[in-house]
Amino acid sequence: MTVTLDRPASDAPPRADILLDVQDLRTYFHVMDGTVKAVDGVSFSVRRGETLGVVGESGCGKSVTALTIMRLLDIPPAEIASGRILLEGKDILRLPEEQMRHLRGNEIAMIFQEPMSSLNPVFTVGNQISEAVELHLKVKHKEAVERSIEALRLVGIAYPERRIKQYPHELSGGQRQRVMIAMALSCEPKLLIADEPTTALDVTIQAQILELIRSIQQKTGTALMLITHDLGVVAEMVNDVVVMYAGRVVEHGTVDEVLLQPKHPYTEGLLASIPSKGMRGQRLNVIKGAVPNPFNMPKGCNFSPRCPYQFEPCLDLDPHVDEGGGPAAACWLWKQAPGYSIPARLHEAQVRAALRAAEASQVEVSPVLAVEAAEE
Amino acid sequence: MGRYILRRSVQAIPVIFLIAIVSFMLMQAAPGGPAAAFNQNPKISQAQIDGWLQRWCLERNPDVVGMLREFGGWLGVYNCSGGGLASSSGMPNFLPAFLGGGSNGVLHGDFGFSIFTGQPVLGMILERLPATLVLTGTALIIWITLAIILGVIAAVKRYSLFDQAVTLFSYIFYSLPTFWLGLILIYLFAVDLHWLPAQGIINTRSPFSFNTPAYWTDFWKNPGPALVVIGQHLILPVMTLVAVSVAGDSRFVRSSMLDTLSQDYVRTAKAKGLSQRTVIFRHAFRNALLPILTNIALEIAFLFSGAIVTETIFDWPGMGRLYFDGVTNRDYFLLMGILLIGSILVVIANLAADVIYAWADPRIRY
Repeated sequence: MTVTLDRPASDAPPRADILLDVQDLRTYFHVMDGTVKAVDGVSFSVRRGETLGVVGESGCGKSVTALTIMRLLDIPPAEIASGRILLEGKDILRLPEEQMRHLRGNEIAMIFQEPMSSLNPVFTVGNQISEAVELHLKVKHKEAVERSIEALRLVGIAYPERRIKQYPHELSGGQRQRVMIAMALSCEPKLLIADEPTTALDVTIQAQILELIRSIQQKTGTALMLITHDLGVVAEMVNDVVVMYAGRVVEHGTVDEVLLQPKHPYTEGLLASIPSKGMRGQRLNVIKGAVPNPFNMPKGCNFSPRCPYQFEPCLDLDPHVDEGGGPAAACWLWKQAPGYSIPARLHEAQVRAALRAAEASQVEVSPVLAVEAAEE
Repeated sequence: MGRYILRRSVQAIPVIFLIAIVSFMLMQAAPGGPAAAFNQNPKISQAQIDGWLQRWCLERNPDVVGMLREFGGWLGVYNCSGGGLASSSGMPNFLPAFLGGGSNGVLHGDFGFSIFTGQPVLGMILERLPATLVLTGTALIIWITLAIILGVIAAVKRYSLFDQAVTLFSYIFYSLPTFWLGLILIYLFAVDLHWLPAQGIINTRSPFSFNTPAYWTDFWKNPGPALVVIGQHLILPVMTLVAVSVAGDSRFVRSSMLDTLSQDYVRTAKAKGLSQRTVIFRHAFRNALLPILTNIALEIAFLFSGAIVTETIFDWPGMGRLYFDGVTNRDYFLLMGILLIGSILVVIANLAADVIYAWADPRIRY
């Protein structure tokens, strides 16, 4: 794992294996009732050809982070208050719009959540794919059409020659998402951002689309930033994970670290809320409470009102402010709060985590079961 | 497509028939009647009036049966010269003449005569149509162009100073009564500044009336200056119509455009790296145009019906004035003629709107 949490913006030379490096990104929305800090100091990086999963519940700032990277937010009301987004060492937040447009769809492409409404209803599918190809690859219309057919074939659409003449409403939801993927990949981007690409699709199609994205990624070597709230998808697809809560990264690590040895109580709660076979007939575990009001964030740790392990510093001090390379979770259980010590009743939580780690290294247990075992 | 148009045309027949009945009933409900217009005229005897009324199945105080007779006579189902529902040859009156039907009524292409002028209704309408087409056509082209330009810019630069200004002036002009705005324009540009003529379509000193054979003979001798004269007379009434209509339509274009600009596919287009112009015009405007097209097609009916208030204020010799005069004189046949032709045109415009929509939106199938 190459990221550290809340790392100050450094001018160190970029590492060659890092494609996208987001540093201390803050995206605010100025609306009538005040300012919403939708993304509030987020840092992570994506390595070439690898997959980063961004997880968190609705409204935690995942999509806004993606749209900020694409620079697709309307400014105002949005404001990028601080931070850097380095694509191969170049800060794309400072690029003039003209050059940014050249990157969009060409070096960074994006797939959206709603395939039903993301295609323009009055143009044919082929028209919409070849439009980007003609623009970025500077090829003639005929060649662009041929490339569009190839792109459709790549995403597993049958009879692509016929399909390019069809309109979006003539295709099913899964086919439309395939078209979106074909469009996104048609210019062979270095980074593909997929914002909940399967949420709007039914379950059987979800698996197909994920499998498709993975196989294409392997073929083309495109790096993937996969935004999802589905931890099952994370377990299947990604190398590294970033967990977001209320506009911040609360935990990051490799997929094994985060899913098998969650440190942050929020991650632990997310994992515990996955239903499992052994739970038939029982109530689902939920994280109590709701995401805090964006206009009225709690003092101290954002998660403290919902946190079962809350103790004194959580209400007072913000665990995000970190000195150097601390632990990979923004939580006072895992770092030393100045002037506070962890009360004895909470040592348990760390013991439990250690137990989980031990179990994870020996036998393959699902994270949920590990939690259950620890609680017995 | 052809079958669709045919089906819709057949469906339109009962609609037009219903419109004719309703407008006829409304006219009957209004106080006064054609006879009242003659009562004050000493040159016409009571016997003459009675003869006239009888010719058209009109009565001074008709009961329900009398009204039905009158409507039947206008329609061509009833034979006013005494045969009842049968024509003079004994066949049903509504049949075409070559099958032995009657010759009166709109079913036989007879729109009747104006009670006031005695001229055939159809001739009067055709005589007034060119002036109306010139006025409403010019106004329509200008106002739709302006409304689209203003609406699109206002939507793209939402909440900007430009948008606020367009909004403010839209509300002002939309709230202005046409007759007041027309009079103010006349006062300002004609009476006060002497820049433009106050009324009419050609100079008041011209020896010919507009759209008479003598006028056209004179027109073709020197078409350039004659057109300039018409153009000068057009400016004020067109300004009046445009100001009021742009106000409403630019709001419509703006909201339609705002609607499409917030659609997911516009975000997709931006994410492709397309330029702002391509995103706005190719992806957003192309979709925003769909409801606008429908609106425009419906406004085309207005081309023919004319602008009653504006034409009256500017003494424009068009359909709107003709209708206004018809109402004033209780000229039943003239009014029924204008209403019938107007409703047919509205139905055609509706059909055109649907066909254009289907052509512009690939999702529509019929």
